[in-house]
Amino acid sequence: MSNPILDIKDLRVRFKTEDGFVPTVNGVTFHVNEGETLAIVGESGSGKSVTSLAVMGILPPNGEVYDGEMTFRERDLLKISKKEYRALRGNEISMIFQEPMTALNPVFTIGYQLRETLILHQQLTKEAAHKKGIEMLELVGIPDAEKVMSRFPHQLSGGMRQRVMIAMALSCNPKLLIADEPTTALDVTIQAQILTLMKNLKEKSNTSILIITHDLGVVAEVADRVIVMYAGEVVEEAPVFELFENPKHPYTHGLMASIPKIHDVVENLYSIEGTVPNPTNMPKGCKFHPRCPLADKDCMTIHPELEYINSTHAKRCIKV
Amino acid sequence: MKYFLLNVLKTIPVLLLITLIVFVLVRVTGDPVSMMLPETATDEERESLKEALGFNEPLPVQYMKYLGDLVKGDFGESFRYDMDALDLVLERLPATFQLAIASMIVAIIISVPLGILSAVKRNSFMDLFITGGAVLGKAMPSFWLGIMLILMFAVNLQLFPVSGKGGLMHLILPAITLGTGIAAEMTRLIRSSMLEILGQDFIRTARSKGLRESIVVNKHAFRNALIPVVTIMALQTSTLIGGTLITETVFAWPGLGQLLVQAVNLRDMSVVQAATLLIAVFVILSNLIADLIYRLLDPRIKYD
Repeated sequence: MSNPILDIKDLRVRFKTEDGFVPTVNGVTFHVNEGETLAIVGESGSGKSVTSLAVMGILPPNGEVYDGEMTFRERDLLKISKKEYRALRGNEISMIFQEPMTALNPVFTIGYQLRETLILHQQLTKEAAHKKGIEMLELVGIPDAEKVMSRFPHQLSGGMRQRVMIAMALSCNPKLLIADEPTTALDVTIQAQILTLMKNLKEKSNTSILIITHDLGVVAEVADRVIVMYAGEVVEEAPVFELFENPKHPYTHGLMASIPKIHDVVENLYSIEGTVPNPTNMPKGCKFHPRCPLADKDCMTIHPELEYINSTHAKRCIKV
Repeated sequence: MKYFLLNVLKTIPVLLLITLIVFVLVRVTGDPVSMMLPETATDEERESLKEALGFNEPLPVQYMKYLGDLVKGDFGESFRYDMDALDLVLERLPATFQLAIASMIVAIIISVPLGILSAVKRNSFMDLFITGGAVLGKAMPSFWLGIMLILMFAVNLQLFPVSGKGGLMHLILPAITLGTGIAAEMTRLIRSSMLEILGQDFIRTARSKGLRESIVVNKHAFRNALIPVVTIMALQTSTLIGGTLITETVFAWPGLGQLLVQAVNLRDMSVVQAATLLIAVFVILSNLIADLIYRLLDPRIKYD
């Protein structure tokens, strides 16, 4: 097994609100190996995006990591100085976001925004950065790269903007790329193109990818390994094939069953009943028990630990 | 370019309306000749002066005559100063410009750092202090602030001259007086504009690139936050000019405002008309300039 490039242990994040601290990530443990694509799957509110922002060190001002460990290439992310963290961001760890429409600054040209990272982290001159920027745009399949450099974000389509984001994120050859729902805001054909692009680029540069999504189709397409998050916890972890073939946790089962099948004629699409619990009012015992078809009395009191059923597959459930 | 020409054309009816309102107002608010003659003048003397100056004709006829002269560039005579009203107004204009620009500079110097700071440190003691100060600054009447500044810095500490126009030292107190109110308004505006921008996705992107927080705030956020601020600043021009009326009177600053206040008191109609028309032109111009700056700041805006 290759070395983990990112190692997260028992990560806990909370947000300060008017009603006190609200925990949103409750002891998340996972790692990303070199050259691997790990997908984090979960519903809105499961804590997956917060986890990624915590890794980047860009939690909103009212959020904080209050426990746990984050190690990136043997560096303790919770101990390094702000300056050292900044030197990592956009350089060794970079990130692309869900909303290509709003993730680029509307008042600066594409060229400016691309050059900025290169000048900052690679100490390139403006001209060299410009050349490299054009190369990056070509690499992500943008036609007329030279012209696009002088355009503003609003002059590009959503798919093009996401390509620009990817070009920007990859421009300093990051060791880890965090992609937070990179295709959610795009239409289906563009989604497929962006995913293929990410896959190809990963193979070329051996970048590790941490992809955050709620779309199991995306998971099947790009991931090597998957962790399923629910209410700020990891409830299942498995290699991608194993997860699809042999899901253990009832929540994962629910997610799989929620995918509509093209040949089935059904009156209503399947859905997991209820919603993700509010972080201010977490159920006791197993956090999934109010929505779980298998839940019994024990589930209401016992909070299950993440158990490995073999060396790669883990689940957080006492019933299966 | 076409857009701006069109906009300039659109201002003509506005200016016409302003001339009409001012024209009627100065004539219906009192006897136009009462200030021109000594108190001992007889009714016959008053009547003959009115007749001679054409005040006995119906208002519409008088207005048309006034417009006719205006088109020829004739703004009438000031009977107080016995000179061309337009020349008189233009003579006073540079002093007002000087004061207005200095006040704007004071307002920018105060409001930009404070507005950004209170947005970045929102809900902190610092934020409370700044927004509280802004409310106070807005609430203080400028004539009162002006008198207090004169009392403290000119009379007691004798750091600045009390009034009048001279070098830079003469400019400082009136500029602070006029700039404070505008700074208060702008600080609150910059704060709320910055707060909105700092929550945007592209700010998170900028942070994820590893940029220093000062660059994220002062470059990525502030450039965007400026867009609404510029609009309001242009609208503030009218407040600024209104402010000069009071400030110039308090500091005996020989500008357009002081002239206008005197002219209104003396019923010097041609001067009132010329000054208001000129002020109207400036307000309209500053709005057009704001439009231009707006386009420079926000690439998403295109006028076709």
